[in-house]
Amino acid sequence: MKGLLTVVWRFLLKTKLFWGLAVLYGMGIILSPVNRKGANIFLEPGNQADVLRQVSNNGIIAVGMTLVILTGGIDLSVGSMMSLGCMLCAMLLTLPGWTAGSVTAIPTSAVVTVLLCSYLVPLISTNLQRTPAKPVEQASWTIRLLGAVLGLVAAGLLVWWTTSQLQTKFGVLSVLITVPAVGLAIGGLTGLVISKGKLQPFIVTLAMMVAIVGVARLLGGETAAVYPVYTGSNATEKFDILRALVLQVVPVPGIFFLVAVLAFGFILKYSAFGRYIYAIGGNEQAARLAGIRVDQVKVAVYAISGMLASLAGVLYTAQYRQGKPDAGSGVELDAIAAVVIGGTNLMGGKGTMTGTFVGVLIFGFLTNILLLKNINSNIQFVLKGGIILAAVLLQEGQVGLWWKRLRARTKKLGTSEPRKDEIHSLQNLG
Amino acid sequence: MVPSDEQTKASDPLALQMRRISKSFGPTRALTEVDFEIHRGEIHALVGENGAGKTTLMKIAAGLIEDFDGEIFVHGQGVHLNSPRDATRAGIAMIQQELSLVPELQVDENIFLGQEKLQSLFLVDRKSQIQAAREVLKTLDFHGALQVPVSKLRVGEQQLVEIAKALIAKARILIMDEATSALSINETERLFQVIRRLASEGVAIVYISHRMEEVFALAHTVTVLRDGRRIGTVPGKEANRRDLIRMMVGREIQEMFSEEKNATSTEKPMLEVRNLSLENPLPTPMRPMLVQDVSFSVRAGEVFGLGGLLGAGRTEILQVLYGLHPGTSEGDIWVEGNPVRLLGPVQAKARGIALVTEDRKRDGLILGAGIDRNLGLPVTRTLSHLGIVLPGRERGLAQSMIRELNIQARDSEQTTGSLSGGNQQKVVVGKCLVTKPRVLLLDEPTRGIDVGAKAEIYRLIGELARRGLAIVLASSELPELIRLSDRILVLREGRPTALLDRSEYSPETILEYASPGGAIQPEFSKLEVTV
Repeated sequence: MKGLLTVVWRFLLKTKLFWGLAVLYGMGIILSPVNRKGANIFLEPGNQADVLRQVSNNGIIAVGMTLVILTGGIDLSVGSMMSLGCMLCAMLLTLPGWTAGSVTAIPTSAVVTVLLCSYLVPLISTNLQRTPAKPVEQASWTIRLLGAVLGLVAAGLLVWWTTSQLQTKFGVLSVLITVPAVGLAIGGLTGLVISKGKLQPFIVTLAMMVAIVGVARLLGGETAAVYPVYTGSNATEKFDILRALVLQVVPVPGIFFLVAVLAFGFILKYSAFGRYIYAIGGNEQAARLAGIRVDQVKVAVYAISGMLASLAGVLYTAQYRQGKPDAGSGVELDAIAAVVIGGTNLMGGKGTMTGTFVGVLIFGFLTNILLLKNINSNIQFVLKGGIILAAVLLQEGQVGLWWKRLRARTKKLGTSEPRKDEIHSLQNLG
Repeated sequence: MVPSDEQTKASDPLALQMRRISKSFGPTRALTEVDFEIHRGEIHALVGENGAGKTTLMKIAAGLIEDFDGEIFVHGQGVHLNSPRDATRAGIAMIQQELSLVPELQVDENIFLGQEKLQSLFLVDRKSQIQAAREVLKTLDFHGALQVPVSKLRVGEQQLVEIAKALIAKARILIMDEATSALSINETERLFQVIRRLASEGVAIVYISHRMEEVFALAHTVTVLRDGRRIGTVPGKEANRRDLIRMMVGREIQEMFSEEKNATSTEKPMLEVRNLSLENPLPTPMRPMLVQDVSFSVRAGEVFGLGGLLGAGRTEILQVLYGLHPGTSEGDIWVEGNPVRLLGPVQAKARGIALVTEDRKRDGLILGAGIDRNLGLPVTRTLSHLGIVLPGRERGLAQSMIRELNIQARDSEQTTGSLSGGNQQKVVVGKCLVTKPRVLLLDEPTRGIDVGAKAEIYRLIGELARRGLAIVLASSELPELIRLSDRILVLREGRPTALLDRSEYSPETILEYASPGGAIQPEFSKLEVTV
């Protein structure tokens, strides 16, 4: 009986994150007001879809943030990166010709294409070889050349295709390709500075956070702080796809979020790259000595984080129909909070994408419940802060320790005299 | 000396008595109803294999582990020891294996950390701190400067600073955990004198050590722990090596110092090193280079020993060979006749060089990850297809390594942080073997591991040499170096002073060549002149 209890208890402890979400969900149902027809507003499909829509931006950023935090780093520049993505997207959609937006986006994505191809083609080809996979550095020169040539061709095609759209303004697909490419480039640059300069990620991404906001504002020019995006009049009508509902229930941003969670969750759990991320967060020096290219992995995670943040910027533009240079201010803290609530250790090496997913949902449902209860927004902030603290305390298992300590303090000490010491001799030890 | 007079013993309450101490870490029981007692002025050695619970028991006494069962009495008074502060108040101080000084603070600031002498309400009275620190340190035979950051001191001196800190806090019970593991022979001897004097002044000293010689040299009493239980307590005079080892491991083990000749082939060298040198990142006029003009060659199947005192450059040579100092190191290296560039671990690994680092926790293992993940890490790419790790292949590799190296673990997914030191070390060695190296660099391969695991590592090194690996072994333990090596290169302050064959080995010879001002073999003295 006791054994069964401990098994159940362990199971509950292991899955406590999900229980937290379930409890919150239950509270949502109970606390929710009822509409005129007597239906529970919280449970309405529209409300559930709204929650998914609202969390998806934060969620997409949190996915990238999870990778970064797992390596033991942090990315404070994601909010600014989202603002930049938002500005770029709005400009590309609404302004024809060579503007600051297209001048930035087209060449950057071309360079990114060349670099990606010449890195990935040898990597993939060595992986395709019959097992065991060869180290990348043994890739033949023809393969490397092929990668570079392929990259150049692809970049050429991309430039041709996007410039051909310049007169009629950008379409949905070209925005979805070029804007994340810019995020990838800037994120990669951040990673390069961090790994090659051996600097603290906190300070480097803090600097980037400040600088990128500046870039976003510069792009917009001094007069236009906000770029309205009216689909159908000053931008392509198709852009509305990014805010549509699939099957009338699932919002498209939510699908982006889910795909990101699944894809990067898979990579994290099953790929060699994922292993390296955990290894670096667990013990960077040991990973380096095991012959892992720590610097490359770091560049990659910051690049991915930047890419996802700028993608969130595109979705923001679709959602709020405007590009503004402070679209993402403060977003980085929400993302970090979601990751940490999800049980990922800020020191790196421990955590899962599932955890982040649940963390994002907890955050989303909490906001939703407070909104439905019509609670003063300032009180909402206080409550959210409290919930983050409580979640982290529970995750770290400190609460149980407090209890034990209290017990130890109040325990009665034995009152008997200490025993007389007895020194055993070797003989009676046997 | 220990109070030999029976009467004082009876009237004098025990300095420290721990009763029925039990402690579990999750599912593993670290201690089961252990009793431990020590008198004033007694030097009490606590021995046992790694994982036997010595450190855990003493951490409880030092208030570093708060959640345990059992009772503790200090000088006959029951006490709650739930924090280091409680322990300090009870007069207990522990000097841990990893020293716990603040590297950037100066000597006196460290000594008075948390117990600062105050001038007014919050101004620190440095002058009287320094004076008090100097007085205490003088009794410990420390005469160096006090107004320097402790990171500038040698490890032995840092240890004296820790002891001074304990004495200033009026500690009457001093616990030392593996105090000599990083000390040179001279420093160890000095530390012993300090310990003996403190004991004669009535301080009770608990001395945890792996080194039997030290236990016999110091202890009045020896307590043996095995698997978290007290096996027995014997007076130091009655203890002998054989019995203690039997009590520690619970079985007879073959004496590990059996001579065993490695079959060295006469083929051309597997590893050849010419004029290796490494710049000193903090150059001093005495020591512009950390390693200078070191040349040697190692044949397949040979164990090549690097000997010397602390700071002689042994570790640095291995690091340079593994490519950890690109830019500041120079020299030519050939593996199987092919020149190798010293660029970094990636290149070293690709050329068949593997390194077992000196500090397994800092550089070797990901403590939070399982055995399988650790073992698979260096070969993740060969374990995967299209970038996806094949779990079956990873498990297979882990299990075959666990079997081959006889790693004691629940399963292949157990986290390496929860393994004992010996098993951790086996995992580190396994991490090197999975890359199928041809040259294996071993830096202190048995530091801080118990006798049983040590014997196994020794056997493994012999086995690997027979398989045709070229092994370079750096060790500060002379018996180990002498037993394992086919040839020994002795270093002094980064320069070679002698190349010894098996016939010339003896601890005295090696020390003679290793010590400053000692002898130099003629072929190496020429180098001296040219510099």
